[in-house]
Amino acid sequence: MEVFGQLAGGFATALQPINVAMLFVAVVLGLVIGVLPGLGGTSGVAILLPITVFIAHGSLPGSDATTAIIFLAGIYWGALFGGVITSILFNIPGEPWAVVLLFDGFPLAKRLGKPGLALSSSFVSSFLGALVSTILFTFFALPIALKALEFGPAELFAVFVLSFATLIGLGAEAPMKSVAMLALGLLLAAVGFDTVTGEQRLNFGQTALLSGISFVPVTIGLFGIGEILASAEEQGIGFVENISAKLGLRDVVEALRELRKRLRLVLSNAIIGFFFGVLPGHGATAASFLGYGLARQYSKNKENFGKGEISGIMGPQAAADAAGVASLVPMITLGIPGSPTSAVIMAGLFIWGLQPGPVLFIQHPDFVWGLIASIYLGHLLTFILCLLAVPLLAMIMRVPYAIITPFIVVISIIGSYSLNNSMLDVFITVLFGLIGYWLRKMKYPLAPLVVALVLGDSTERELRKALIAGHGSPLYFFNSGLSTVLILFAVVLVAIPLIRTIRARRRGAAPPPAPAHS
Amino acid sequence: MRPYQVATAAAIVLIAAVAMFDSRAAFSPSAGTSPGDVGSRWYPFWAATIMGIAAVIVAYRVLTTLQPVEGAFEGRRSVFAVLKIAVPMLAYAVLIGGIGFRTTDFTYRIVPAFGFYLATALYMGLFAWWLGRYKIWWVAAIAVAFPIVIFGVFELGFRVALPKSFLYTSGILPF
Repeated sequence: MEVFGQLAGGFATALQPINVAMLFVAVVLGLVIGVLPGLGGTSGVAILLPITVFIAHGSLPGSDATTAIIFLAGIYWGALFGGVITSILFNIPGEPWAVVLLFDGFPLAKRLGKPGLALSSSFVSSFLGALVSTILFTFFALPIALKALEFGPAELFAVFVLSFATLIGLGAEAPMKSVAMLALGLLLAAVGFDTVTGEQRLNFGQTALLSGISFVPVTIGLFGIGEILASAEEQGIGFVENISAKLGLRDVVEALRELRKRLRLVLSNAIIGFFFGVLPGHGATAASFLGYGLARQYSKNKENFGKGEISGIMGPQAAADAAGVASLVPMITLGIPGSPTSAVIMAGLFIWGLQPGPVLFIQHPDFVWGLIASIYLGHLLTFILCLLAVPLLAMIMRVPYAIITPFIVVISIIGSYSLNNSMLDVFITVLFGLIGYWLRKMKYPLAPLVVALVLGDSTERELRKALIAGHGSPLYFFNSGLSTVLILFAVVLVAIPLIRTIRARRRGAAPPPAPAHS
Repeated sequence: MRPYQVATAAAIVLIAAVAMFDSRAAFSPSAGTSPGDVGSRWYPFWAATIMGIAAVIVAYRVLTTLQPVEGAFEGRRSVFAVLKIAVPMLAYAVLIGGIGFRTTDFTYRIVPAFGFYLATALYMGLFAWWLGRYKIWWVAAIAVAFPIVIFGVFELGFRVALPKSFLYTSGILPF
């Protein structure tokens, strides 16, 4: 089969010494980022994105764009695994997708006195989930990309609309807040020159804004600085429940034995996680909660959940890692990020001069297959490192707050400045850090803002190309069966929260009107 | 929580109104360069309109449904915890580039540009002294070591030219 040949070529690329070395560095960085509560996978990838410009342009001997994407993706894989360590050992989630491990991971480690089993159960299920997802990625990516090559502007616009609708309809926050954030992202993307007519807009006479608002400083601010401020507020709650972090071969063998008993659960959650992760806007976090719910729903020991049940660790972990890998599928095949982290990685592709989407498979097969092969290698490497270095990683939690916090700010500032050598970008980072912190506090979702900011230009371009092709008639979008189906599906998705509200009101579950003052 | 939610929604409405005003040419008959094109203002105008409407609905929902009684912050301690990070961070960003203004002939400096490395030394040192309460030699070591390591990694390793200080321009320091 063609896929195997391509994958073999990908492994030849990924196994080049520079790529292996950068993958190792990235995975270690990702694990550290995952362990640190003040720094998430998305912010870690965003902060280190500017460095990849130098990697992609050959600053390191033998490095190119493939090295850069392997590096960025490696950070993500490391963070996916690293976040669980603090959840299980310290009862502090290092990453949002590790929150679910507080339910059973920490009780298994603390109450039942089996931290090694809790950690190794999490690692083996994560690895298996990621492996299943990567295999599906390998076989699904090319057919999706080849189909997407046939898309015209109407279909592409419909795909963008569908991805936005997914963010609204299936988001965890209030749908109108998602709409507001989505529109804000589209608005920010419109600042500067109009790509079709070359006219200036939304720059209010400021020449510095003519080139638009760069995605990278905004993301570093929203996620990097925003998370630092949020964790500053929460400081002092952690470091109480500290458990010894030793992991022996016996723990791994026991975890494998437990995995055998739950193989069906882990495999099914991995497959569900994959398809869930492909949906735009839903990365590992939502999948982890879905995985936990499914594990509990189909368990014979429901009463053990919340008390250290291993299915409550393996189920969500398999789904979360599978979704994390799958979030790259729409980014690579269609040019639509599946999660905020993949949105940052996609921004990297633009910066390195590559166009994410189906053409990538035709123009840069080495890049795509090198990335896919590196996912296998990256997860294997992360898995081995996790088994070997848990005590070392747990020690990172003991780095003093007074050093780690300003250090993250310093790295964020370097990241935002170095992309365009612009102090304006530094101020944008600081400003969006404050905005991101506040929006998070007010429960506005940041994923729609980030995804819309990345896709804003492409969405407008395809919309206007379609309207020009249809001589201004919106009916042009319904000329193609595919775009019609996608738009109708988008309408249904947007209607979901509305239907949910109406049903809740009919059942009388809607909250009563508030008094004059709360 | 209600006043904070309403104020946030109001701020979003204000941003939307400004963007709609800037894009008011969306309905100009001469918009667009080719038949069928909606022009450059149409898209931002409708994005702003949708944003404004969504924020108004959010505010309406906040005003007509029960909201958590507690405020945005859990007491003064949590406000100070955020300010402890936010204020030095703002000062750090300002110190890197300095404060000044430019006329057609001159650039006036109120605060000289400390550049990245000097500002980082001050910033890291401040945190080590203030929040870490380390002894003075530890503070000095942290303030010196971090900029040197960053210089080695970024300036020499990745060849990223970070902003230099007024002492660099006068030839006293290498950064």
